[in-house]
Amino acid sequence: MYDFELVKPSTLQEAVAALKDDEAQALGGGQTLLPTMKARLAMAGKMVALSGVAEIKGICTDDAGRICIGGATTHATVAREATGFPALASLAARIGDPAVRNRGTIGGSLANNDPSACYPAGALAANAVIVTPDREIAADDYFQGMFETALDEGEIITEVKFPVPEAAAYEKFIQPASRFPLVAVFVAKFSDGVRVAVTGASSDGVFRWAEAEAALSSDFSAEAVSGLSAPDAGGMISDLHGDGAYRAHLVKVMTARAVKAAH
Amino acid sequence: MNDLTPAPQDALGLSRSVRRAEDPRLLTGGGAYVDDTAPAGALFGYVLRSPVAHARVTVAADDARGMPGVQAVLTGADLEAADIENHLPTAVAKNRDGSKAAAPRRPLLAVERVRFVGEAVAFVVADSLAEARDAAEAIEVDFDELPVKLDVAVGGATIHPDAPDNVVYDYGKGDEAATEAALAAAHRVVELTVDDNRIICASLEPRGVWAEMEGERLHVCFNGQGVWGPMGTLATTLRMDKAAIRVTNPDVGGGFGMKAMSYPEMVLVAHATRMLGRPVRWMADRSEAMLSDNAGRDLICTAKLGFDAENRLVAYRMDNVANLGAYNSGYAQHIQSELFSKVMPGVYDVQACYMTSTGVFTNTTQVDAYRGAGRPEAIYVLERAMDYAARELGVDPFDLRRRNFIAPDSFPYESAMGETYDVGDFPRVLDRAMAEADVASFAARRAESAAAGKLRGLGLCYYIESILGDPSESAEIEFTEDGRVTLYVGTQSNGQGHETVYRQFLATDLGIAPEMIDVVQGDSDRIAKGGGTGGSRSVTTQGTANKAAAAKVIEKFAPFVAGLLEVEAVDFGEGAFRAEGSNRVMTVLEAAEAARTAGETELLKTRETTTLPGRSYPNGAHICEVEIDRETGQLAVVKYTVVDDFGNLMNPMLAEGQVHGGVAQGIGQAVSEHVVYDETGQLLTASFMDYGMPRAVQMPMIAFHSEPVPSTANVLGMKGCGEAGTVGAMAAVGNAALDALWDLGLRRVDMPFTPSRVWALLQLAEGATDAA
Ligand SMILES: Cc1cc2nc3c(=O)[nH]c(=O)nc-3n(C[C@H](O)[C@H](O)[C@H](O)COP(=O)(O)OP(=O)(O)OC[C@H]3O[C@@H](n4cnc5c(N)ncnc54)[C@H](O)[C@@H]3O)c2cc1C
Repeated sequence: MYDFELVKPSTLQEAVAALKDDEAQALGGGQTLLPTMKARLAMAGKMVALSGVAEIKGICTDDAGRICIGGATTHATVAREATGFPALASLAARIGDPAVRNRGTIGGSLANNDPSACYPAGALAANAVIVTPDREIAADDYFQGMFETALDEGEIITEVKFPVPEAAAYEKFIQPASRFPLVAVFVAKFSDGVRVAVTGASSDGVFRWAEAEAALSSDFSAEAVSGLSAPDAGGMISDLHGDGAYRAHLVKVMTARAVKAAH
Repeated sequence: MNDLTPAPQDALGLSRSVRRAEDPRLLTGGGAYVDDTAPAGALFGYVLRSPVAHARVTVAADDARGMPGVQAVLTGADLEAADIENHLPTAVAKNRDGSKAAAPRRPLLAVERVRFVGEAVAFVVADSLAEARDAAEAIEVDFDELPVKLDVAVGGATIHPDAPDNVVYDYGKGDEAATEAALAAAHRVVELTVDDNRIICASLEPRGVWAEMEGERLHVCFNGQGVWGPMGTLATTLRMDKAAIRVTNPDVGGGFGMKAMSYPEMVLVAHATRMLGRPVRWMADRSEAMLSDNAGRDLICTAKLGFDAENRLVAYRMDNVANLGAYNSGYAQHIQSELFSKVMPGVYDVQACYMTSTGVFTNTTQVDAYRGAGRPEAIYVLERAMDYAARELGVDPFDLRRRNFIAPDSFPYESAMGETYDVGDFPRVLDRAMAEADVASFAARRAESAAAGKLRGLGLCYYIESILGDPSESAEIEFTEDGRVTLYVGTQSNGQGHETVYRQFLATDLGIAPEMIDVVQGDSDRIAKGGGTGGSRSVTTQGTANKAAAAKVIEKFAPFVAGLLEVEAVDFGEGAFRAEGSNRVMTVLEAAEAARTAGETELLKTRETTTLPGRSYPNGAHICEVEIDRETGQLAVVKYTVVDDFGNLMNPMLAEGQVHGGVAQGIGQAVSEHVVYDETGQLLTASFMDYGMPRAVQMPMIAFHSEPVPSTANVLGMKGCGEAGTVGAMAAVGNAALDALWDLGLRRVDMPFTPSRVWALLQLAEGATDAA
């Protein structure tokens, strides 16, 4: 780790002001950032810790019935308190281990947009809205490829609003070492159609599997998935844990399982 | 829950499952590990490592020397200029033609060339770790890259000019002509090649070392498996007198053979300490450990089994090619050769045996002993081959084993590799294992799994192990002024629970309460000589010495106590000295107190050395069941049964714990542990993000049962149990995996059975069926 300055704002306004500095970077739970800093692979002159900003923590339900989660809310809190959206709570409950869940935050996960992270699948499938101090971004516009998002430099996630589907499930096939998704699929059934978001598989990061969405929107059953051919292996991640063909195959398997598990 | 409670040998009283005395301390943060014990104010060492696998290098460190807080920067050239040996020695093996194996220099710090990613290039010592790292970044290293050699095979880009074709050694043992003749005459010959995948040891505590000057003497403390061997290495490399060096081992968090060998950092820290006259400390971080710790396994074995018309094994030939990495580690040349040979024919009565081992250099981290060291590898190939042979011959794998077992009445039995197995009753152990594992109902379990879309397989491994290491050990019993007892031992606990068991010995033999006994290990100043821990030797060798020392204490004290009690003679029994016809008794501690008062100081210290007459051979049956998810390729170990013949158990609970840990390591290698280098020699599995350690959730409940046949090779009747679990586990899982996949037409399946690799096998099978 290199030396840095640590700022601990207690209000959103202070945090936003501190992040105006070119050298500054937001620090959520540090579960991604700190290991990279320890390995000297990342450095920021100034870390702005969001953990003391009470107004961007916690979970509530808005007038539209959406589950609204503060950007600095930990995975453990979501796992425990997002009872209105069980599939999302279950997703949070399966991230990492207790230490990771007690520190890591939804804002940090979505800002990082790791191609193998869990939350991006939940947010994209549920058609969530990503809220920042100045604007609201629809999930469909937010994820822009591996580690790429619509966020500007220094822009922070203050809240994420999740419409609650009629039925949903998250099926995670874990990579044996890291226990991140090797491939995971979030299926969400709304009155106007089904959304299927896939993480872990594509080198472009989280994506919606259009064919499965179309098939499931007319017939929400595992059989509808088995009729499909697996998505194209071409753009899939290929690494020591599995090649593109394996990942493409798993997308189909996990989608069918998610449909079966959806409630 | 298990059948451990009955004492197999009451007279020893040792067979109780006494709880580990060290646990409250170790589990509540009270342990004193190497990084906890470094002297206040010690300088920090940092190793700059090569980021490339093979290159000519030039190192320019001048800028770094002037950086803030920097006390010293050492390069290979600096070591050459100083009066020290820039080389770590190895135990050199002999080739088949009698010549010596290749022993190129293994530098502490690279000189002109680097040969693997992670090789030490420079050593920086600074006031803080951050300053040392900053300075390391300022060292300029020029890499002129060379072609890399990575495959486990003879040939490829030359790594050491004095090892043509990258061959390190060419080992052979047994009767080649007789074996070839028997194979040629055999009714059936079954051949199988298996890949024994490379693993990273990943001890919970990575390697670390610190050193300080104690007056004119050098004190080096590191987390190892013994202090006397490394003292020799330090004396040679630093060109010092052994008497001027003190070596200690504090609490150690896992060794597994990996920490038994010497590494450059120990010498670098010692040298810097001596040079600067100030204490220096170094601790590896996790990725550094993964890059620089000795790896394990990494060999390819081919077995040829010859059977007669009655399916009796008449010949066995095994050839392996073993990866040694870029340099010879301390004992590397002997693992897949001589140590492998100890149990090469396993538990089978086969007279014609021959084995070869070819060691090769590659541009990877060095490879050496890992839990079992050669014996798990020998059993893995043999038991995979026996299982495969049964399938090829169309007979039951249990029956084929049984038919070829060394008969219980033929012990002591000299194997074709010249080992004398003292005792054994393999059929009895196998019967028990089949009953405990409920093999009879396997078909029903398989049908249940099939109904859930899963393939189920059952695999057997009947292993035998050979207890290695120095057969001699010493114990010293000292009665101290505070009325307590100190036991000095020559072994080194890495977490096994030695303290508990050794106290049990003295408690039993001398009637001293365990809490009055302090066990001292790992200090070359306080203990003259010892064999350290390795090869499952500790309790057998140290326990024997403990008993001898205890007996000597009684013998020495008896006349003195008789004098005190004013009787002719005393006996020792039920924890005290007693005289016939008198109701006076005296405990050993009371007697010691009296001796001190009387000035009889020679009674207060007793040292005995014992040498075991022979090795013991733990053996047993592991029966494993796996389930494979046909859709994902995920393999899970779902049922696991072990029946072991460890002879008499000294502390059954700790023996069972050793089996649990060993099985976990075996399952880890079989299911998830997988070292991967890319084609340039970069280690892709250099953190736990990519290296799959076994986890508790993946472990089945392990049913452990003891079916003892006491050893005749030591007075305790015991057989070492530290490595046995690992020895049995790999083939049990491998055979279960093949069993699950056999009906799909698959014939060769290799570890590790990770989901993607198993899925690839399933695809292969589908292709095969499609084509058919
Ligand atoms: C052992 C381990 C296992 C894990 N397993 C999983 C898993 O199974 N699935 C999974 O999805 N993840 C997993 N993770 C990652 C974990 O979920 C992290 O918590 C998450 O990726 C990052 O969140 P954080 O709050 O820790 O962010 P940090 O590490 O603090 O920051 C990450 C990035 O986000 C930025 N940032 C932080 N907060 C905000 C914000 N509110 N707005 C804008 N930018 C912000 C930071 O500047 C930084 O660039 C694992 C991590 C570990 C260490």
